[in-house]
Amino acid sequence: MTLRASGVSVAFDGQSVLEDVTLGVDPGEVLTVVGPSGTGKTTLLRALAMFQRPDDGTVEWTGDDVWALPDEDRLAVRRRLSMVFQEPSLFNARVAENVGYGLRIRRSWRDRIGERLRTLLGNSSVPESVHDSLETVGLTEKAEQNALALSGGEAQRVAFARALAVDPTVVLLDEPTSNLDPRNTAVLENAVDRARDRGVGVVVATHDMHQARRLSDRVAFLYDGTVVESGPPEQVFEDPEDWRTAAFVAGELLYESDSGRPMAAQSP
Amino acid sequence: MFLQVLPDGGWAYVLSVVIVSLYVSVTAVGLSTLVSLPVALVLGFTDFPGKRVVTAVVNTGMGFPSVVVGLVVLMAISNSGPLGSLDLAFTPTAMIASQFVLATPVIMSISLSAVEGVGQPVRDAAYAMGGTKADVGLVVIKEARYGIVTAVLAGFGRAISEVGSILIVGGNIVYSDGQSYTRTLTTAITVEARQGRYEIGLVLGAILLVLVLGINGLGSWLRSKGRGRGAS
Repeated sequence: MTLRASGVSVAFDGQSVLEDVTLGVDPGEVLTVVGPSGTGKTTLLRALAMFQRPDDGTVEWTGDDVWALPDEDRLAVRRRLSMVFQEPSLFNARVAENVGYGLRIRRSWRDRIGERLRTLLGNSSVPESVHDSLETVGLTEKAEQNALALSGGEAQRVAFARALAVDPTVVLLDEPTSNLDPRNTAVLENAVDRARDRGVGVVVATHDMHQARRLSDRVAFLYDGTVVESGPPEQVFEDPEDWRTAAFVAGELLYESDSGRPMAAQSP
Repeated sequence: MFLQVLPDGGWAYVLSVVIVSLYVSVTAVGLSTLVSLPVALVLGFTDFPGKRVVTAVVNTGMGFPSVVVGLVVLMAISNSGPLGSLDLAFTPTAMIASQFVLATPVIMSISLSAVEGVGQPVRDAAYAMGGTKADVGLVVIKEARYGIVTAVLAGFGRAISEVGSILIVGGNIVYSDGQSYTRTLTTAITVEARQGRYEIGLVLGAILLVLVLGINGLGSWLRSKGRGRGAS
């Protein structure tokens, strides 16, 4: 596996959020992490993106423990990844500047200052990968618009373009379409497909089973901080081995009882 | 016709007062910005025990009575004070010092709220794209830019319209040829009003109003450009 969580456990204030999670992704495949809200999906993606060091276990890049690497090497690994959040979190700047952000910070300070001066003099050009990324999400005509003036769906597509522009090996998507309408969702899912075809590994955290069916090469079902089942989508969705996966796939309400036992109930 | 509003030499006097005012306030605000911005960034980026107390002290400083500041600065720079050997009393430098004390909490406090107004999601986005701590810091400064400029303008507004402390530490002095040494727009107005030279007082007041209105207008425009993010 190129990017892999191996036995990862994370706790906040003594409360376990992830427990011994092992999964990974390779270039050119889409792994979806499905499960109810509050089950640790975001924490898992943030651990993979190196926002925080796991309390136990390792995050590995091509077999190396990333937290055992020197800072410079870990930064180099982080720059092979990019992440998109549930909220687009765009900067107060033109769309093209937003999409080009990752490229800019990978340049030397001298080049960055030179580029800033050229922009101030009105002599800047949009890099090819920025243009290509915007084309992937169908927003080339918005390149010169201020990003904060975009609709929520367009903003999320720009956030995905920003993630793609740096030519990442792996992209992490945290509930990328939970606030989007069907049209924007379709555009974004299509862009994920195209990224996979280009050899990008994609990890999608979602509670949308239908999206997981549409996108996945592999599915991991996360419940209460633990991967209870993983495999090809046809196996996880059509013939789940774990009763909690089966309940979730069947659309039943999966929750913890007051005693902490997982329970499932039919939706009304 | 318009120039005849003032007696002979009146415009030269007004010009010298404007120059002293701008020199003192621009220098004080420039120095204050150099100190306030790094402090605001450190406070906005870090979490440490006592941070709330430090922030509260900075915010309280916005309400410092200017005459008290003037009194303390004068005590410090008077012959018997700890900085007496520098011989700064009743000089433009003393006025810069007192305006620095008054403007710093304003610039620091508004800059801090601008920096803190840049939410964690924006910082996370910069980090997730491979940003270093310096990259994330630059993103925050850039996102807070309108708020930071607003802070500097507010500090300048506080400094240029201040009268109490510069009257105490500057002494409101003019040279024998009638040109200003430590007389500013505000302190000159008090003198002209007391002496019944209302036409000069009104001209000085109009210039001060134009300056303050211009600063406020610029601040409002920047706040609208900031569209709420980082703009206080």
